[in-house]
Amino acid sequence: MKIELEGEGYQPSKPGLIFIQCLVLALFVTFVLRFWYLQIHMGEEFAERASSNRLHYKLIYAPRGFLQDRNGVLLAENLPAFALTLNQQDCPDITATISQVSNWTGIPAETLLTRYQQERQKSQRPEPISLIVGIPFDQVAKIEPFVQRMPELSIETRTRRNYPHGALFAHILGYVAEANEKEMERDPDLSLGDDIGKLGLESKMEKRLRGQKGRAQEERNAYGVTLSSSIAREAQSGDSITLSLDLEVQKLAVKALGEHSGCIVVMEPYTGKVIALVTQPSFDNNAFSTGLTSSQWDELRNNPRFPMQNRTIQSEYPPGSVWKLVTAGVFLKEGINPNETVFCSGAYRLGNRNFRCWKQGGHGSMSMKAALMNSCDVYFYHMSDRVGIDKISAYARACGFGAQTGIDLPYERGGLVPSREWKRQRTGSSWQRGETLNVSIGQGATLVTPLQVAVYTSALLNGGYLLKPSLILSEPPQVTGKLPSTPEEQAFLVESMRLTAESGTARVIARPDAVMGGKTGTAQVRRIDNERLKTHQMAYEHRDHAWITTWAQKGDKSYVITVMVEHGGGGSTTAGPVARDIYRYLLDDAYPGSQPHMNLLSQAIEKFEKNGYSPDMQQ
Amino acid sequence: MLPLNPIERMDKQMLAHINWSLLLMMLALFITGIVNLYSASASLLEGGIQLNNFYQKQLIWGGVGMLTMLGVMLFDYRHLKNVTIFLYAAAIILLILVLLVGSIYSGARRWLDLGILSFQPSEAAKISVLLMGALVLSRSKDPLGPVGLLGAIAIGVVPAFLIVMQPDLGTSLNILMILGGLILFRGIKLWLCALIGGTCTLSAVGYFFLYKLGTLPSWWSMLHPYQQRRIMTFLNPENDPQGAGYHIRQALIAIGSGETWGKGFLEGPQSKLLYLPERHTDFAIAVFGEEWGFVGCVFLMALFCLFLLSIFTTARDAKDRFGTYIAVGVFFYFFWQIFINIGMVVGLLPVVGMPLPFISYGGSSTLVNFCLVGLVLNVSMRRFVFKTK
Repeated sequence: MKIELEGEGYQPSKPGLIFIQCLVLALFVTFVLRFWYLQIHMGEEFAERASSNRLHYKLIYAPRGFLQDRNGVLLAENLPAFALTLNQQDCPDITATISQVSNWTGIPAETLLTRYQQERQKSQRPEPISLIVGIPFDQVAKIEPFVQRMPELSIETRTRRNYPHGALFAHILGYVAEANEKEMERDPDLSLGDDIGKLGLESKMEKRLRGQKGRAQEERNAYGVTLSSSIAREAQSGDSITLSLDLEVQKLAVKALGEHSGCIVVMEPYTGKVIALVTQPSFDNNAFSTGLTSSQWDELRNNPRFPMQNRTIQSEYPPGSVWKLVTAGVFLKEGINPNETVFCSGAYRLGNRNFRCWKQGGHGSMSMKAALMNSCDVYFYHMSDRVGIDKISAYARACGFGAQTGIDLPYERGGLVPSREWKRQRTGSSWQRGETLNVSIGQGATLVTPLQVAVYTSALLNGGYLLKPSLILSEPPQVTGKLPSTPEEQAFLVESMRLTAESGTARVIARPDAVMGGKTGTAQVRRIDNERLKTHQMAYEHRDHAWITTWAQKGDKSYVITVMVEHGGGGSTTAGPVARDIYRYLLDDAYPGSQPHMNLLSQAIEKFEKNGYSPDMQQ
Repeated sequence: MLPLNPIERMDKQMLAHINWSLLLMMLALFITGIVNLYSASASLLEGGIQLNNFYQKQLIWGGVGMLTMLGVMLFDYRHLKNVTIFLYAAAIILLILVLLVGSIYSGARRWLDLGILSFQPSEAAKISVLLMGALVLSRSKDPLGPVGLLGAIAIGVVPAFLIVMQPDLGTSLNILMILGGLILFRGIKLWLCALIGGTCTLSAVGYFFLYKLGTLPSWWSMLHPYQQRRIMTFLNPENDPQGAGYHIRQALIAIGSGETWGKGFLEGPQSKLLYLPERHTDFAIAVFGEEWGFVGCVFLMALFCLFLLSIFTTARDAKDRFGTYIAVGVFFYFFWQIFINIGMVVGLLPVVGMPLPFISYGGSSTLVNFCLVGLVLNVSMRRFVFKTK
């Protein structure tokens, strides 16, 4: 066997050797640079992605605070509900998963996809997304075995808001419903499927009621097995709030109002606490938290009697003769002697126009007290023509009219106190003397809310202080303003109301066991023409509004009740009996009532005298 | 005169001339590989850390490899000149045989079942093409002309074709690339280079025009759908996070999250929590990158480069052409594997199945690696035998 030998001077090819060295150098440089890019330049980002690989977050839901009446009866509670959640991290094919869910539940896939995309756009947070909240139990039972086999889906227990008394407190409590896009944008704590208060106290007290969600962190391996978990933040449940409302009084008041449209305010004059706040007709707020169908919604919105409207604060009515409690105050302040009499012949002539009294034959000679007791219009025409509109509107404003009372409910309206300036701005024409006459008896452009009337009535009793109507039991009284009248002037008006309840237009509420006071009103919806019709002869929407504002004092108990019946006809015939029925319950010895904390009131007064009123929000 | 007995005595001079640095680098890489495999075998389950025995198996294969390597070092490599052609012919026959009677695993006919163990003829084909290429090219004293070039290419084309039929595109490309490395090392005549370059450019331009004119389909549409998908995944792994892109995405996360100093030995969550696929085999370096960080990766790259440069030293210092070409062939054998495997794991190349020498677990590849290092050591030992004849 011969092996070919090469010479001593063999040298491998130079270019080849250089080529090989270059390759090694290129290998080193390329990969070191790449490792530098991945590990140093992008290292932090990859480290973050590594932790989002293995660390999974779960939200721990915080129960919403309860709402209860003053005796601890639950008015808003939480019931268990089921939610289907989607974890993006574990979802290989969103579209397939969503169409599967759509198959199960019958909710269109596009709807679900839109929800998913909205939430994903909103945040890159790693928490699972609530696809559907509030799945009925039978459906949960049906889909659960399938869900267990899909790691990206899970069924979670949440809560659903329930109002055991539904329509009874619908306007006060409001309702909760799923937060919409705008609300989620405003509030970073909200995520898809979360409830938020949309109306009433649920909305106003949202921050206190909601609480704070907690967060748990789980470490999982590639097969989805949880290896460890820790709570990153405990959930904090929302505050439960005890309201000043009394379920029994509210029930009774609704019953007393019967089939009428209208509203009732029952409050304590020395604390501002609202015991009942009734608006009829009402709606079932439970329908909102379970999800309203569009036909239900249309029906509520288009109902001619506006069941969604909270009439105590959102409806502005002409006050009618109830307003005379304000106008009489102006007369006293302007130095008119209450004993000075005006002769009522049934009409007051101004220029070439006759201003009629409600009593066709006239009342004869009237002092201020008599004019209040009999609600004589001519007396007020006469005296208001003397003091003029400027005095009346300034005084009415100081009594809290034309401004919100500050109750903790959204969308409160302020009513309207007409004035020269208002008319100039509104119509461009100047004030007419005749309009002053109309304003003096609570007609014309004057508009008030029933709650304003109750607050004014309370102020007459409590020494002249306008109190913020309070729905929360523990809240100390807050003075929002002071009447522009002296204690003597207030005492005169209170005494006039007592007489009115004793023997005047409000005697329907009179009781032997208590000191009562009242003032009725019959607010015209259309002008009285020559033909005077009985209420039952008029079309419903032309009938007068019936008003009564009253107070009662019995031992430690003192209450103010204001009733307003839409198109109810006469104040004494329609509104009065409603107030009477409620007093029958409140003033019964079996009803415990509550002692007014006079020192709390004096503290509030002191604070007001020192600093004035600044709305002290509960949130 | 060269002794006719193929097994010679290992004398002192031979030992002195062994490429010790190559041996040292190889052992360093092998130990690094074992340490990394130990970590890759550990997984965090509910019951705590659990170990698979891959690193133990690798140690056994390493021992077997070491013995084989010693065997390869014992005879004078120049005897291979006479047997190479038979090895090559045997490899071709085996490749044909595997196509006819081979066993099918996961859709590919790659194995010959020999009863107790299965044998992959394509591994033998790699070594025999390496030797055949070295033999043929070492005979050509000048840069290759057209005949020489065609002859050299022909060595690879036949086995590469047979392996593609299995089908195993990766290995056949690997064979052609080793051969290509040898040809480039040999060099091609300048005018031939220019001619090839010119032809390639012209045909590319021509293809482009014909494609624009609509006469020819685009190269893209000529690919298999699975090939198209692989390329798309390589270009954008994020598009397909759970499918084919999953491997590469998890590997990048593992390596990147190692940052400068790494998560520490046995501390890499990506591998411990099983997010990283193929931790023992093709993606072993991702485990390493996660736990040892940039510093570790630079260290490993330095080891690989020193290892390759040690082979280069032997190629340079060999006293005959055949020795040089054997070393160069082995150089390219390792170079391409390192380049393609790391390139794939760090996302610079598409995903192809290719182990990282000494770091990835694998019995037969470890054995072949040790054998080939033994071959280079054989060449280095005998670089002065001519003086002492």
